[in-house]
Amino acid sequence: MSRFTQPKAAPVSKRDPRTGVVQSQDGELLHSHMRLMSLHDGKSIPTDNATLDVCPVCKSARYMNPSLRFLVNPECYHKMCESCVDRIFSHGPAACPIKGCGRTLRKHRFREQTFEDIKVEREVDIRKKVGATFNRREEDFETLLAYNDYLNDVEDITFNLINGIDLEDTNRKFEAYARAHGKEIEENAQMAVQERQSFSAAQKLERQQARERREAARREEEEEKREVEENRRDVLNRLASGADAETVAKEGQRVQLKKRMDRQAAAERQRQLQAAEDAHSGRTSKFVIKGLKTKQKPEPEAPVDPFGGLRLVDSYFTLQDDYVWEGIQEARKDVKQTAGGYDVRDYAHRSLVAAFSGLGVFVADEVTERDKLAQSDEAVGTARADVGLKDADLMTAP
Amino acid sequence: MSDQVAKDYTQDLPVLFPYPRIYPEQYAYMCDLKRTLDAGGHCVLEMPSGTGKTVSLLSLIVAYQQFYPEHRKLIYCSRTMSEIEKALAELKALMKYRADQLGEVEDFRGLGLTSRKNLCLHPSVKREKSGSVVDARCRSLTAGFVKEQKERGEDVDLCIYHDNLDLLEPHNLIPPGVWTLDGMLRYGEQQKQCPYFTARRMMPFCNVIIYSYHYLLDPKIAERVSRELSKDCIVVFDEAHNIDNVCIESLSIDLTEESLRKAGRGAANLERKITEMKATDADKLQNEYAKLVEGLRDADQARDEEAFMSNPALPDDLLKEAVPGNIRRAEHFTAFLKRFIEYLKTRMKVLHVISETPPSFLAHLKELTFIEKKPLRFCAERLTSLVRTLELTNIEDYQPLQEVATFATLVATYETGFLLILEPYESDTATVPNPILHFTCLDAAIAIKPVFDRFSSVIITSGTISPLEMYPKMLGFTSVVQESYAMTLARRSFLPMIVTRGSDQSQISSGFQTRDDPQVVRNYGNLLIEMSKLTPDGMVVFFPSYLYMERVISSWQSMGILDSVWKSKLILVETPDSQETSLALETYRTACSNGRGAVLLCVARGKVSEGIDFDHHYGRTVLCIGVPFQYTESRILKARLEFLRETYRIRENDFLSFDAMRHCAQCLGRVLRGKDDYGIMVMADKRFAKKRNQLPKWISSALLESDSQMSVDQAVAASKKFLKMMSKPFPARMQDGISTWSYEDLMEHKRKIEAERDREVKNGEVNGDDHHIHGDVVMAEAQAAEDDMGINDDMDAAMMEL
Repeated sequence: MSRFTQPKAAPVSKRDPRTGVVQSQDGELLHSHMRLMSLHDGKSIPTDNATLDVCPVCKSARYMNPSLRFLVNPECYHKMCESCVDRIFSHGPAACPIKGCGRTLRKHRFREQTFEDIKVEREVDIRKKVGATFNRREEDFETLLAYNDYLNDVEDITFNLINGIDLEDTNRKFEAYARAHGKEIEENAQMAVQERQSFSAAQKLERQQARERREAARREEEEEKREVEENRRDVLNRLASGADAETVAKEGQRVQLKKRMDRQAAAERQRQLQAAEDAHSGRTSKFVIKGLKTKQKPEPEAPVDPFGGLRLVDSYFTLQDDYVWEGIQEARKDVKQTAGGYDVRDYAHRSLVAAFSGLGVFVADEVTERDKLAQSDEAVGTARADVGLKDADLMTAP
Repeated sequence: MSDQVAKDYTQDLPVLFPYPRIYPEQYAYMCDLKRTLDAGGHCVLEMPSGTGKTVSLLSLIVAYQQFYPEHRKLIYCSRTMSEIEKALAELKALMKYRADQLGEVEDFRGLGLTSRKNLCLHPSVKREKSGSVVDARCRSLTAGFVKEQKERGEDVDLCIYHDNLDLLEPHNLIPPGVWTLDGMLRYGEQQKQCPYFTARRMMPFCNVIIYSYHYLLDPKIAERVSRELSKDCIVVFDEAHNIDNVCIESLSIDLTEESLRKAGRGAANLERKITEMKATDADKLQNEYAKLVEGLRDADQARDEEAFMSNPALPDDLLKEAVPGNIRRAEHFTAFLKRFIEYLKTRMKVLHVISETPPSFLAHLKELTFIEKKPLRFCAERLTSLVRTLELTNIEDYQPLQEVATFATLVATYETGFLLILEPYESDTATVPNPILHFTCLDAAIAIKPVFDRFSSVIITSGTISPLEMYPKMLGFTSVVQESYAMTLARRSFLPMIVTRGSDQSQISSGFQTRDDPQVVRNYGNLLIEMSKLTPDGMVVFFPSYLYMERVISSWQSMGILDSVWKSKLILVETPDSQETSLALETYRTACSNGRGAVLLCVARGKVSEGIDFDHHYGRTVLCIGVPFQYTESRILKARLEFLRETYRIRENDFLSFDAMRHCAQCLGRVLRGKDDYGIMVMADKRFAKKRNQLPKWISSALLESDSQMSVDQAVAASKKFLKMMSKPFPARMQDGISTWSYEDLMEHKRKIEAERDREVKNGEVNGDDHHIHGDVVMAEAQAAEDDMGINDDMDAAMMEL
């Protein structure tokens, strides 16, 4: 027995230095080493677990209060516990209690920290802002090189914003771009939203399908099991009823073999079908039309024209902003008149239109025209009368 | 016998076989190999262990190489160092024999390649224990920029062994011949040249290269080592029954908090280096930047053998594309990495299990950190470039960072075939979180696809790769030849048995419902006692898992079973620790050699089950307690099963059972390492009875129907009878003409085959050449049914001979 226990006992003493017990010590060492390093780098962010769990304002630790939550404000990214936030900021904006900061913070901006490294937290916030503005897509560019250059520029701007290099200049650039390309930015943002939605829908569908397939596979398996069971019962029954054992066994085997072959054939067919489908879909998805880079944007829709192309232009006068006439000066200044949206110019316009109406209309022409029309009317009338007469004749003739 | 037997014509190709006798299965194996090579496709071949697979493979392929003018190169991949060395020794013997026979030494070069650690000659570097440290130190002494620094007159160390190589002709660093690893080391010491780089640089000029799987499969290494191999190379994966797992492991990455912390530190270091370099040598960064703008991948940098990191399997079009603009600048890139690492750390804080696909991971990543897919894809590539520019020498510090970069590249490159699984706790009962982010590859075909795409003939072979059709399915290729060979035996030299019941007629199984049942444990114990009583010398027992083994051993201890075993054998146990296990193995061998006899209790998926042979008296009985199923509760396994079902239509149970049986076959095969060897193979579980046709053909054909449902006492009786038979002297000449062929026998066989074919031609029922292909499913089914029905005819014939 002693020989048996010996090799079993060996692990502790002869454990490989790279594994097991020794490693935990190694980890310890590394940890302390790391703390030293971070101090050495002069970073203000503590990486140590002990200081990580103490609120820098009220000094309450997680040890005493396991449900301690820390919040940060994207104004200065100083961390403090939830109760401190409640205590200090619930009566409105106040200065950051961290020494040497003193920025005014508001309670509603406080939120939980996503990343362990506060620098990254801040960086991501900045990126969010930059990304919302610089959201061009690869399709917008003619060449890959141009796109890459664009990416590089954006990254430069982001980097400057994060590290506070040339803040003023960068901010100016940023603003200028945002102003200049407002419309495109919005379009691209909308497109991104759409993409996200369709992606999540596709994901959902996929999950659903996977679930269904899993279910189907399970059912199939159950079916098979049941079939085998049935077969066996059948054989037993027949044996019990006194059939020849040899033939029954043979037949049972044959039936089973046939079933199995059928199933295999079906599976094979299914597989081929699938393969064909895959190949087909693969071809269509791989098919690329060259030269689609420059995207044709749809023409802006024409404004609605109620007159159907008839243009009413004041051809005899031009409307002035102001007319020197007592009657309207009063109304111009009177709030009671203008409050409802009344504009004196409308009055002036109407008067002018009235004044010029009828100009370019020649009465003589119109009269002859009308006469002609009237005559033709008469002619038609007589003709109709004639016809009426003839009809009457016909009626009476026989 | 004599030398004139040596020539063995497989169809029209003269093959020199270095032994006077050949086994029939070796002949068949060579015929099929040649057929594959002629057809120019891939094949799967299963040949029983211990029947000279390696030598038949080598002798045929070398003959093929020398006979045809193209001289197709052979790349022979094996699993372990010892197997590589064995193959090299075989090759050396073969070439010596060929030289003797042909009367001239052919212009032939065969080299083996292994890690720097095994091939280093540098006096201080070679003393390092860990492989990665050796790699790193070697690079710091041999990298291109170190040399430039030296030329500039700076005081840096160089490796003299490496530098001497530059003085030699680049295509003739080592004279022709076959060089074993030892031989290389000796030659290197003599000539003061580095064996590792000699082998690396001579690879394009070799006829045969022998190295480990990883050099071809692991995309991180393959890119560097195996780039220049031409398309018509013949690639052989030997011992390939686990090849799908190797493929998967080579693309899977596990990240822990610790490694992320280290990676973060690595990124910070990089940042510091960049600021330093900006102050001193800004031109270099500017140069790199300019190069990246152009999108030119340095032609020679890709081939650079000192390159320390390389990108995982990337589509070629991506490699030609320029690096995205937002990670072009070095400082932007480090900030990018930091952000990514921080994100991963945040993900690690989640306290419930998450499994998600790469697309959904990417979507979340983008939402939170504004990291797009494209720069992520270029991460590994960009990091390599940066490290090269910064001329970093202490590269082992950046290993975790590289891992993160590789992860980034993979997750952004592949949408399917991968899954991210976050496990916050180590076990179900743990309360302190220790999160691991598994990025698991589910599709073995991804890693091996480049190999199949690139090389026209890939041969996958092993002693146990049944069922053969599983491998083409899983690895995504079509094979021209699929063949499994039975073992021709002059007498029944191994006895496979399936024990399903104990002596008390209650069924035994390691299934989890009954595994703690004392009755089952006692029955297993009784089986062990009986077998240890009657087995001479060594006996190996395999359990499905360490956990189960420990449980069973402790109950055996309390039942007093170990005490009874102790009377006849020493008891030794395998543990997860490799040093301990090797100590146990050594003791085991000593005990077997000096007649005390021993029982080795080990685990079916452990180190012992693969690659350690228990030939002759080192193993007379192998006992498989329980079916070695994988731990099915593992989330990674579950994901893989689901993937296999969805993609390759392999059902969960089929795969699990296939996987269990291949491990079982591996274990059983350990004990029989040649035709003069004999042994008993016991499979003790009621579930084996249904799985017997999943065993390799050579085992299942020897397993009689009457032996497949035994109780313990029946098994004992059969074993006693078998051992009695084995104890009779059995002179080698009794095997002649049956299980070993001399040249005359071979010619006789060929005549017979030809006559057969003629007759078939006359009868007009020729189905082409493939009259002996059993790959067809229908045939296999029919075969299985037939096997079920009665006793195998061959076996009967063999018994009659006795």
